[in-house]
Amino acid sequence: MLAALLLAALAQSIDSTPARHPPRSVAIDERLATDARIALGDRLDVTTTPGGVGDTVIVTAMVRRRADPSEVARSEYRVIMHLDELQSLVGYGDRVDRFAVATRGRAATDSAIRHINDVAFGFHAFRSRDIAVETSRTFLVVSRFHRAIGVITIVASAIFLLCIMLLKVDERRRDVAALRLMGISARSIVRSVMVEAALVAVVGSGVGVALGWFAAQLINWHYRGVYRTPLAFALVTPGIVVLAVALSLVLGLAAGLLASQRLVRMPALELLTGRREARHVTAVVR
Amino acid sequence: MLGVAVSAAMLLDMVMLSTGMRVSLRTLLLSRGFQLRLAPKGTLPFDTDATIPDASNVIRVLRTIPEVSTISPVLGGQLHVTVGTRTITATALGVEPSVQGDYEITQGRPSARPNELVASDDFLRATGAKIGDTLSAASGYDPQLRSFTGRRTFLVVGRARFLYMPAEHRAVALPIATLQQMRGAELRDRASLFMIRAREGADVDTVLQHIQAALPAVTAVSIETAMRQVDERMSYFRQLAFILGAVSLAVGFLLVTTLVTVSVNERLGEIVVMRAIGVARSRVVLQIVIEGVAIMFVGAIAGLGLGLVTARYLNSILAAFPGLPAAIDFFVFEPRDAWGALGLLTVAGILAGIYPSWRGASLPIAITLREEAVG
Repeated sequence: MLAALLLAALAQSIDSTPARHPPRSVAIDERLATDARIALGDRLDVTTTPGGVGDTVIVTAMVRRRADPSEVARSEYRVIMHLDELQSLVGYGDRVDRFAVATRGRAATDSAIRHINDVAFGFHAFRSRDIAVETSRTFLVVSRFHRAIGVITIVASAIFLLCIMLLKVDERRRDVAALRLMGISARSIVRSVMVEAALVAVVGSGVGVALGWFAAQLINWHYRGVYRTPLAFALVTPGIVVLAVALSLVLGLAAGLLASQRLVRMPALELLTGRREARHVTAVVR
Repeated sequence: MLGVAVSAAMLLDMVMLSTGMRVSLRTLLLSRGFQLRLAPKGTLPFDTDATIPDASNVIRVLRTIPEVSTISPVLGGQLHVTVGTRTITATALGVEPSVQGDYEITQGRPSARPNELVASDDFLRATGAKIGDTLSAASGYDPQLRSFTGRRTFLVVGRARFLYMPAEHRAVALPIATLQQMRGAELRDRASLFMIRAREGADVDTVLQHIQAALPAVTAVSIETAMRQVDERMSYFRQLAFILGAVSLAVGFLLVTTLVTVSVNERLGEIVVMRAIGVARSRVVLQIVIEGVAIMFVGAIAGLGLGLVTARYLNSILAAFPGLPAAIDFFVFEPRDAWGALGLLTVAGILAGIYPSWRGASLPIAITLREEAVG
C-alpha cells in the first residue's frame, strides 16, 4: 500500500509540469514601444530566432536613447534584460562582453588597470576615456570634414562679400566724385566708406547670428526626428558667434578698403561721367 | 571670376558627394557578381555578431531554387596569432575558397586545404610572416584555464586584398569548416552571411521573393535594399550636399548678377547709344545675358579643376572613417555630374543676366544719354 502511494506520488510529480518562474522584467526602448505599440505591463515573448523557443517577459520600464553620437546612425531597437536571463536565452553561459568598473580616483584607476592587465588573459582593461576617444573617431572625421567645408564656405563668402561691397560702393561713384570735387580728401572718403562697411558687417553678422540660431533649431528639430535621438546636431556657441562677427568685420573692412581705394584712385571726372575719355580731358586741362 | 570658380567647385563637389557614395557602394557590392545577401533576421550583413543557424540546411534549400547559381557562405570571427611574446589579433573570414566573393588574391594562391589561409598585407606585416610560413593560431581564449582555445597550425598560401575591409586592416581568410571547428559547439554549422549569385538572365527580385518564401527566418538583402538602408544611414551627407549645393548655386547666381550689374552700370552710355541708333531691346538683353553666361561658363571651367582638387582633399578626410572599406569613396567623379553642375550653372548664368539686362535695356534713352553726356 505504502509502495503504491509512493509510486503514485512519484508519477504525479513526473506528470505535473515543472513550476514556471514568474515573468522577469525588461526595459524597452521608447522607439520600440512606439513602433510596436507596447505599453508598460505588457507581456512579451523573447526569442533569439524568429519563431524559436524563448521566454516570456514583462515590460516594466521604458528607456530613452542617450545623447550618444555613436548611436545616431544605428536604427536597431534596444531591450534591457537581467544579465542571467539574457545569458540563458542566448546560450552564452557564464560570460559577459565587458565589465564596467568604478574606482576611487585617478590613482586607483591606474593601479586597477595595471593589476587587471597583469593578471588578465584574454581580456584587457581600458580607461573609459580611451574607449570614448576610440568610439568617437567617426565624429572626429565628420568634424574635420565640417571644418574643411567651413573653410571653403568662408572663402566663397569672403569673395561674395567683396563683390557686394564693390557693387554697393560702385553705385555711389557719383556721390564720391562730387565729394572729391568739393575738396574732400581721399583719406576721408576711404575712412567713411570703411566705417560704413564695418557698420554693415556688424549689422549683417547680427542678422547672420540670428539666422544661424534659427537654422540650428531647424536642423536639430529635423535630425532629432530623423534619427530619433536627443542629440544636438547644431550648436551656436558664444565662441562661434565671436568668430563669425570678427571674421565678418575683418572681411567687411577689407572689402570696404579695397572698394574705396579703387574709387579714390580713379579721377573724379571719370567717376562722375563714367567715361574713360575724361582722363585725357583732365590731362589736357592740366 | 574667382568667386564664381569657387562656387562652381563647391557645386561640383556637392553633386559628387550626393551620388558618390551610392555609385561607389554599388560598384563594390557588384564587384564579384553576387546580387543577393542573406543575413540573420533583421540585420544587415556583419552589422551585428548574430549568425544564421543550420547553415547546411540553408544551402540545401537555396540549391532547390533554380535561379540561384552560386552560394558563398561566410562566417566572421577572430584569429589570435602568437608571435614571440606578442599576440596579433586579426579578423577571420571563414569562406568556401572556390566561390568566395570577399577578397582578391594579389600574390600566391587561394587556400585549397583545411589548414591553409590567405592574409592581408597588414596582417603579414604585423606578424612578419611570408607566403609559405607556418603560423600557430587560435580562435578564442579561455580566461579560467588561461589558455587559447581552438588552436590550429596554418600554412600561409596567399596575400589577399579584402574588398569589404579598410585598407589597413589585419584580416585572414580560411575555409569556413575550419573556422567552425575551431569555434566548437558555439558556431557549429553557423554562418554570418550567405552571398548569392543569380543565374544569368534571372530576375533578381523574383529570386529574392523565392528565397524569402523558402527561408523566412533570415533576411534576404538585394543590392537595392542594401543601398536603401545605407541611404537611410548616410542621408546626412546627401542632405548636406543638397543644402551646400543650393547655397553654392545661389552664391554663384548672386555673384554673376553683381558682376553683370557692375558691368552694365559702367556701360550705361554704350547701352543707351545702341538703343538710340535702333538696336532692338531684345538684342541688348541677349548681349548682356550672354555676358552673364560667359562669366558663369569660364568660372565653371576653372571651378571644375578646383572642384576635383577639393573633392580629392575632402574624400581623403572622409576615407579615415573607422571600418570604411578601402574601395568606398564619398566623392566619385562622373562626367554626368560635371554636365549636371555645368547645366545648373548655365541656367543660373542666364537667370543672373536677366535682371541687369532688363534694367539696362529699359533705361529711358534721352534722359540717360543726357545724364551720361553731362554727368
